[in-house]
Amino acid sequence: MKVRRRWHAWAAFTSAIAVLVALPLLPASAEESPSPATSAADKTVFTVGITQDVDSTNPFTGIAAASFEAYQMMYPTLTEYSAADFSTVPGLAESWEESADKTYWTYKIRPGLKWSDGEPLTARDAAYTFNRVINGDIEQTNYGGYTSTITKAVAEDDTTLVLYVKKPSPIMYQLAVYILPEHIWKDIDGKKVKSYKNEPENGEAVVGGGPYVLIERRKGEYLRFAANPNYYAGKPAADEVVFRVYKNTDAIAEALRKGEVDYANDLSANVFNSLEGAEGITTVPSVYSGFNQIAFNMGAALTDGTPIGDGSKIVLDPQVRLAVAQAIDRQVLADKVYGGFATPGSTVIPPLYTNLHLEPANPVGFDLDAANATLEAAGYTMGEDGVRVSPDGERMSLRLLGRQESSESQKVVEYVKDWLAQIGIEVNVKIVSEDTLYEKVGNGDFDMFEWGWVVEPDPDYQLSTFTCDQRSTEEDGTIYAGLSDSFYCDDEYDQLYEDQKLETDQAKRAEIVKQMQQKLYDSNAYVVTVYYDNPTAYRSDRWTNFTPQPEPDGVLLFQYGTWSYESIEPVTADNADTTSSSGGGVNPALIVVGVVIAAGLVLGGVMIGRRGRSEDDVE
Amino acid sequence: MASDQQTGGAPQGRRAIARARRREALARGWGQFRTRRAGMAGLGILLFFTLSALLAPVLFPPETISVTRATGELLAPPSGEFWLGTDDSGRSMLALLAWGARVSLTVGIAATLISMVIGTSVGIASGHYHGFGGAALQRLTDWVLVIPFLPLAIVLATVLGGGSTVTIIVVIGVTSWAGTARLIRAQTLSVEGRPYLERSRALGSGNWHQMTRHVLPNVFPLVLANTTLTVAIAILSETTLSFLGLGDPLRPSWGATLDQAFSNGAVSAGAWWYIGPPGLCVVLVVLSFTMIGRALEQIVNPRLGGQ
Repeated sequence: MKVRRRWHAWAAFTSAIAVLVALPLLPASAEESPSPATSAADKTVFTVGITQDVDSTNPFTGIAAASFEAYQMMYPTLTEYSAADFSTVPGLAESWEESADKTYWTYKIRPGLKWSDGEPLTARDAAYTFNRVINGDIEQTNYGGYTSTITKAVAEDDTTLVLYVKKPSPIMYQLAVYILPEHIWKDIDGKKVKSYKNEPENGEAVVGGGPYVLIERRKGEYLRFAANPNYYAGKPAADEVVFRVYKNTDAIAEALRKGEVDYANDLSANVFNSLEGAEGITTVPSVYSGFNQIAFNMGAALTDGTPIGDGSKIVLDPQVRLAVAQAIDRQVLADKVYGGFATPGSTVIPPLYTNLHLEPANPVGFDLDAANATLEAAGYTMGEDGVRVSPDGERMSLRLLGRQESSESQKVVEYVKDWLAQIGIEVNVKIVSEDTLYEKVGNGDFDMFEWGWVVEPDPDYQLSTFTCDQRSTEEDGTIYAGLSDSFYCDDEYDQLYEDQKLETDQAKRAEIVKQMQQKLYDSNAYVVTVYYDNPTAYRSDRWTNFTPQPEPDGVLLFQYGTWSYESIEPVTADNADTTSSSGGGVNPALIVVGVVIAAGLVLGGVMIGRRGRSEDDVE
Repeated sequence: MASDQQTGGAPQGRRAIARARRREALARGWGQFRTRRAGMAGLGILLFFTLSALLAPVLFPPETISVTRATGELLAPPSGEFWLGTDDSGRSMLALLAWGARVSLTVGIAATLISMVIGTSVGIASGHYHGFGGAALQRLTDWVLVIPFLPLAIVLATVLGGGSTVTIIVVIGVTSWAGTARLIRAQTLSVEGRPYLERSRALGSGNWHQMTRHVLPNVFPLVLANTTLTVAIAILSETTLSFLGLGDPLRPSWGATLDQAFSNGAVSAGAWWYIGPPGLCVVLVVLSFTMIGRALEQIVNPRLGGQ
């Protein structure tokens, strides 16, 4: 027994070494065969690391971010958001027009298109899809927001789609409804669709009309897409795209280093910095559409105006909120807390939406003296313990909630606590989970908190979070949170919100949206701390020609559109042919050497193991 | 009590004798302790950390650990100005460690007090009562003893609402008493077997009187020795829980500092001065308490040998 165990240990040890030696020498073979089915060699495969698996490839049932990335690869939409600045550009539709009486819109579909299986792709497919969503039940879940003003869709001929609307709406420029092939989906009724997987069967790809079609999927492991030769903008250069699932971004970063994946984003500052300068890898900070804020409880109430929660009266005073805004150094937060991967914030529409973002004309800068003066002028006198007292005699002691899930959040609240202490406001910080925070905010049980939003190119959703209608609601004694987390409620703002909802002239709408941002900025309902970046890294030794959205420094993938998937090209090195360069240019001779060394080690291990045994036998 | 009142002046005399005896015992104990090098070394280390904890506000005014008023570069290596470098907010590591000593020692000692009170009470009671009550207490002790500490502590901290120092103290206090209870129970059984307790029972002393007047004083030295050992474990637990992000992130305990270091990439940045010193501090303090505890244990329990 003793002898045996010893031999086993040796075998395990030597084979472990063999693997360790062989691994770094064999990245090509590991990378080029994402699945057993691929016969690699002459195909170019672009691999993306994701942390959250696609929950469903059925566009009616999925909700994960990666799922929508898959849908936009698989299916076309009428219009698209441009890579340059999110303006509306042709997609499946070449042109579109609102009728003079504003009761219907006409979309001209590109002629002569085909689905990936060769069937014609026409306005009839589009009309089918829209009617299905309009009249559907589960179909409404993901796309109901786009079709709420549409009454019916009619295909007048193969290239003309007419959508009738109840009232004018700018959403008609951006209907992100994935157009599905009628000849496939007509067999999947409203009941079947709930459990329909929409996955490849018997090795046959899922029929699609986007730049890529889904050819293989393993839940929790990977998704494989192949370039669609029938795509209207032309077949993309990468033959295949693979989404590979990893546990966390650190693992993806490691896989990127090893060459298992070609693209990683959402990296933490330190991982990003450690990848900087690594051979064959290019790092880009990528401006992103997210912001974080310190929010105030501006009078928590239900939609009918009934007050709820236990928010402090002190933060209801606009002068107090102004003083807090003056006491927060956003530049320091961007530099020290976010490691430079952020820019100081101002309004709730991030500056990367150049057409919509308002840069306030009256910016509130960091100035502790000014903040102290603001409070002094508003009648908040300094108490003996260094904490001010309100005109009503209440101590300026406020609660601030931070998030357990985010180390940045915990640091930001520490900085804020520190700054506010210097203007005579005592802050009691509590770190809670995001679930708890959501509940507390919905119930109005807070004074201030730290959190953030990711803003869509269409500003409607973000702006709606400040309307009176989005305050909490009550049903059977339970309070349900709305979208509003500041409980900001202003009639004039609500009117502007309704106006922008009906304005189909995009320039005029942008003006209204800017007015709304100014109102919010002046009220200090939010102190927008930073617009954070999305630190990204990719294998620039294999892939080139990414398309950032927006230009010039936006995100490269997970965009509103599939720009990068369509534009990327494999790197062609001078000395190597195109196909092997995608494997990282590993010399076959090196692989042979690696294998020989590994074999030698195993053999050596066995020999030593044998000798160990004979010695033991002698004993 | 009744006899005390009847004999008038006698109690004072008796108390004086008791006090003198206690003083004598203490002096003898100290004499023995002084001969133990490890114990003395532990005491020295502990004194150093206690002093730096007490003097932290004087040596390093609160501004020095304020994130917004930090003067150093971010993650600067040790230099003439910052002897142990700076953290990722540019604060002096030395100041953070001194303030951290306050939190770590406070939590360690407070949690130990809770643990000792529970452990001693349960131990004595379960040793004293032989019926159902005693058995139940003993099963309870066994039960707490076999539950793995870390999962229990994490669940408790989450349920009680993490992120506060008080929670951490309570969590450590209520999860670490079982070992003490066992020890005390054994000692209680041995004390209760002595003849004078039987005499006392025969004279009609009640349960409470027996436990507090006879058993407690006899097990007390053991409690004391065990306390110092428990403090070491409590400080280690505090570090663990804070490192897992369950402590108060705004109070720079050593564990919280380590947590910050890891979550802010001190490892990949090669900032050894951000990771090493807090770890070393924990090791030293835990070691000092252990050395003191072992020395005390050998004094109060000669059977452990060591002479």
